[in-house]
Amino acid sequence: MRNLFAFLKRFQIFLVFAILQVIALSLYFSYFFYPRSQYLTTASGAVAKVLEIKNSVTEHLNLKNTNTELQKRNQELLEKIPESFIRIDNYTVKINDTLNKQKFEYIPAEIINSTVEKRNNYFTINIGKVNGVERGLGVISDNGVVGVVHRCSDHYSVVKSVLTENINISVVIDKVGLFGLLKWDGADPRRGSVTGISNDIKIKKWSRVVTREGTGLFPKGIMVGKVEKLKEVEGEAFWDVSILFSEDYRKLQKVYVVKNIFSEEQNSLEALIPQDKK
Amino acid sequence: MKLIAINSARFILFVTLQVLIFNQLEIGLGIHPMVYPLFIMLLPFSISTISLLVIAFFMGLFIDIFSNTGGLHASSLLLFAFFRPIIFKAFSPRDGYDMNKEPSIYEMGRQWFIYCFGILLIIHHTWFFFMEVFKFSEFLYVLKKLILTLPISYLLVILLQFLFIKGKVSK
Repeated sequence: MRNLFAFLKRFQIFLVFAILQVIALSLYFSYFFYPRSQYLTTASGAVAKVLEIKNSVTEHLNLKNTNTELQKRNQELLEKIPESFIRIDNYTVKINDTLNKQKFEYIPAEIINSTVEKRNNYFTINIGKVNGVERGLGVISDNGVVGVVHRCSDHYSVVKSVLTENINISVVIDKVGLFGLLKWDGADPRRGSVTGISNDIKIKKWSRVVTREGTGLFPKGIMVGKVEKLKEVEGEAFWDVSILFSEDYRKLQKVYVVKNIFSEEQNSLEALIPQDKK
Repeated sequence: MKLIAINSARFILFVTLQVLIFNQLEIGLGIHPMVYPLFIMLLPFSISTISLLVIAFFMGLFIDIFSNTGGLHASSLLLFAFFRPIIFKAFSPRDGYDMNKEPSIYEMGRQWFIYCFGILLIIHHTWFFFMEVFKFSEFLYVLKKLILTLPISYLLVILLQFLFIKGKVSK
């Protein structure tokens, strides 16, 4: 026993060193292999407080970068203001105006998936039944007509775009006032055509083609495109009007779904018209 | 009493310096300067080795907590403290150390300090970087870190002494 004490005494320095070293290394390796253990790390309260104070000092060094980032973010937000404004104005707040009753509501949406290369192109937008979208509503963008809602789920909708075979949106050639149907031949996503315009009336090149309120899908006068070329169709009394779309569908992102508050009224009234018997 | 006060202040000073300044530097190339061993170095000659070890352990642990390294700094600093008396003995002057002196560059002379501290710092840094990576396959990477960091730590330690440790210039 005495020998043992003598031994311990002789090597006490090394023993203390060894014990402390073992503690330190076991702490290190437990941290090394199980990094999720939270004690004795910067996640603990007092330490975090100190680092917070340090950060409050050093954050000024990054002010320039932070400012640039903020400015960028701010710009993004500013660009979004018109959209949010419309949502408030037309979607949640109803203005009781006795002379002008609101007829159209606009629901802002974003295209999350789209094609322009196929024969029939459908766009997916990020709003659905929950947001008040229904089948058959019109969709417009800032620059022109986009299409008609084709299908909708709770949170998404598929829009049958102008770039499909039988979109048949009713359009008017401005100034002249002739009605026609919008068609797309599947070749060029920038160009479409209007059929059903009789060729006894002259049409000026680059006259505007806008929507007609007729079917109640779109408000009156939403831009569709401009007349680019006129061609006579052989043996028929119609122009083949080639138009240049005002919207570039290849890079379209923000759209609005148009909701006609009176569409039901109009449809029920029009259902009373006796059908043609052919 | 005075010694305790001075060394407590230095303890806080070195932990703060290391944690809030040298740990935050991003020099690149894996350089990670460590200056806190200077605190252990500057403890008086008369201190017993066991208290030296205990102080080193707790100082290392403090730095570990702030830099999320578990016990790595504590382990390295313990090694530093363990070797301090051995190295001091090897470099002792002919008639032993003057117990009233402080083992700083001012009181012990440049040559003595550079040798003693240099060897201890090499031990400390080598242990630290090898334990940090803990892979023999990355030997060259560790060596690169070590060779780049050592001179910088060393230079910083000497500069810090000129800046913060009051020298008795008259001597």
